[in-house]
Amino acid sequence: MLTGIFSYLVFFACIVLLLGLVTLGLNLQWGFTGLFNAGVAGFYAIGAYTHAILTAAPQLNFLGNFGMPWIVGVMAAMATTALAAWLIGLITIRLRGDYLAIATFGIAVSIQLVTLNWEGLTGGSQGVTRIPKPLSGVFDTPLAYNLWYFALLAAVVALVYWALERILRSPWGRVLRAIREDETAVVALGKSAQRFRLEAFVLGSTLMGLAGALYVSFIGFVSPFDFLPIVTFQIWAMLIVGGSGNNKGALLGALVVWAIWAASGAAVAKLVPPSHAAQGAAIQVILIGLVLVLMLLFRPRGLVGEQAVVSRHAPD
Amino acid sequence: MKLKTVFISVFFAAGAAHAQQSCPVKVGGVLPLTGSMAPITKKIAQAAELAFEHINAGGGVKGCPVQFILRDDQGQPTVGVDAAKYLVEVERVPAFTGTISSGITGPIISSVTAPSRVVQITCCSTASPFTLDGRSQGYFFRTIPTSKTQAYATASETVRRGFKKTVVIYVNTDFGTDMLRFYKAAVTKLGGEVVAEVPYNDNQPSYRAEVTRALAAKPESMLLIGFPKDAVTIVREWLSLGGTKNVALNNSMRTLDFVKGVGEKFVEDFFGMDNAQVAGPHVDAFNKAFEDKFKHDSKGPGVHTQYDAVMVLGLAMNIAKDLSGPSIREAVRQVHAVNGALVGTGPAEYKKALDLIKAGRPIKYFGATGPIEFDKNGDVTGPALVWRITGGQIVTDRTISIEDMQALMRRVEN
Repeated sequence: MLTGIFSYLVFFACIVLLLGLVTLGLNLQWGFTGLFNAGVAGFYAIGAYTHAILTAAPQLNFLGNFGMPWIVGVMAAMATTALAAWLIGLITIRLRGDYLAIATFGIAVSIQLVTLNWEGLTGGSQGVTRIPKPLSGVFDTPLAYNLWYFALLAAVVALVYWALERILRSPWGRVLRAIREDETAVVALGKSAQRFRLEAFVLGSTLMGLAGALYVSFIGFVSPFDFLPIVTFQIWAMLIVGGSGNNKGALLGALVVWAIWAASGAAVAKLVPPSHAAQGAAIQVILIGLVLVLMLLFRPRGLVGEQAVVSRHAPD
Repeated sequence: MKLKTVFISVFFAAGAAHAQQSCPVKVGGVLPLTGSMAPITKKIAQAAELAFEHINAGGGVKGCPVQFILRDDQGQPTVGVDAAKYLVEVERVPAFTGTISSGITGPIISSVTAPSRVVQITCCSTASPFTLDGRSQGYFFRTIPTSKTQAYATASETVRRGFKKTVVIYVNTDFGTDMLRFYKAAVTKLGGEVVAEVPYNDNQPSYRAEVTRALAAKPESMLLIGFPKDAVTIVREWLSLGGTKNVALNNSMRTLDFVKGVGEKFVEDFFGMDNAQVAGPHVDAFNKAFEDKFKHDSKGPGVHTQYDAVMVLGLAMNIAKDLSGPSIREAVRQVHAVNGALVGTGPAEYKKALDLIKAGRPIKYFGATGPIEFDKNGDVTGPALVWRITGGQIVTDRTISIEDMQALMRRVEN
């Protein structure tokens, strides 16, 4: 029982770190630069499918599945997502606020439809199976494997967190915040707002792509159902609940929102008999919505709001 | 050091508690109770509920009542995987049923049930790689027939009728591509040949280009895989351009809409396949029990297969020598033993099965979808039937028994 709970918690923590990584990417875009990216699921999908197609074991009737090493898949996933974000950014980055949201949302839906219909490459609705899990032969129990993967994810997230904190306290980071607050003023000071917006957009999306690659090699399977628009909504909920503009908040938000999601499901299954499971499930969805609304009412800036620190040389 | 000792002793205590069998026996389930699949899931969840009621009324599992813990996947893979992991690790369920969407069943197999060696049976996920790619290590089963049965039967009938060169025109969906793949594998093995593969997209006003491409391969016969509305257009163009009347069809065309759509006199002697729906007392008993309990009929996707999925788990857990994953996995294959005594649906039949199992005798389960027997991959094989069109009517030409189907499977796959 105890090992069971521990084993579940390790698995749970892996999912939190994966979602946290995506939230960090969105935080760079929205929290610091004010880019309303509503196409999170799309960039997540590009990373995931790039990794899946490159690393999965060869299969009949598939264009991809090259059986390449894990690290190649991860690097390529980041590179492909960066390239895609750059191309999409070139077209859309001039759009402000809701216009950018609509454009990116449309692009994410299109990407999901491509994964569903380009069967020769993505396996269509049947998905890509046999995606290798790194070092899966070394560990003989699921718990041992998940512990290793947790350590890997924790290292990646720690590195990303540290790097983000550093660049956001650099002059580059201050320009991003300035753009968020008053773009006209930034342009008046001689900065190319478009270039900075594009850089933040590409960098944030690359993190989403990285998370996608790490997600599929953790699960071992990918299908278009992983990238429905609800994923974008979840990530946004995590960022807003945790505290937009604060990387600690982004990670905390991922933990809290996913915990609400998982715990409410477990609680409903415990309290409601299976004969009323359908009603119980509906209550769970209402419960999730209710908690999110309450959090926003009582902590409108998120659990941890933005810090006033603007430079690592100028402590508050 | 002391902490480590405590850790180890806790670890072993937990392990020992797991090996011991305790009441009630828990079975986990994940279904999309909310989200876009929710409308069809309602009846499927009811079928599962009815099956657990029958199992408990008929004696449970190894003398214990069975507790069903059902979780919602919300139509989201991460939510479904999390729920499955919780059931397997925290609730320690030795067996698991679910789910509907292949996009959620897939990640559950690869990241939860197969690594933890927990038997999983689905009512509804048909994606062919799940049973074929080796990831499930034999822990995954499904009670819904895939397109394989039909494709193999069609291949054998094509060869039996002496058609060597066949062209396949198929609808470009996962159903169509699956059918084509299995048909091609089988017909090649049995001595025939696919001379051209022509995909089509549905809802087009004309298929002249596709038909012309197919005719260019000079086939002796044509297999059309698709749905009636477009099939009518394709067959009309096929015949008007001089195509052969040796036409095989898939099960969707077993409808008078198709026959009348093309015109009775043009489709004489066209033939097709279908999974033989085994009617009979066990199927009727299930339908009646379902209607009595829920006050609506049992028609709908996944209802019958979900009932069978749960009943198979119940029977297999009784046959298994203990409630470990590997034992249950072996036992699932003994639910429909060759020389077994016939048992059907409902609590009385379940009780009969338990008595037979206690006496050490084999059983042969006939469920709400007919005989349930799994092949080596975990797919059900069922009987198939050949139908043909005669005088504007659809008649059954012959049935291919489950034994013949299995012989056919062996011939194709070995």
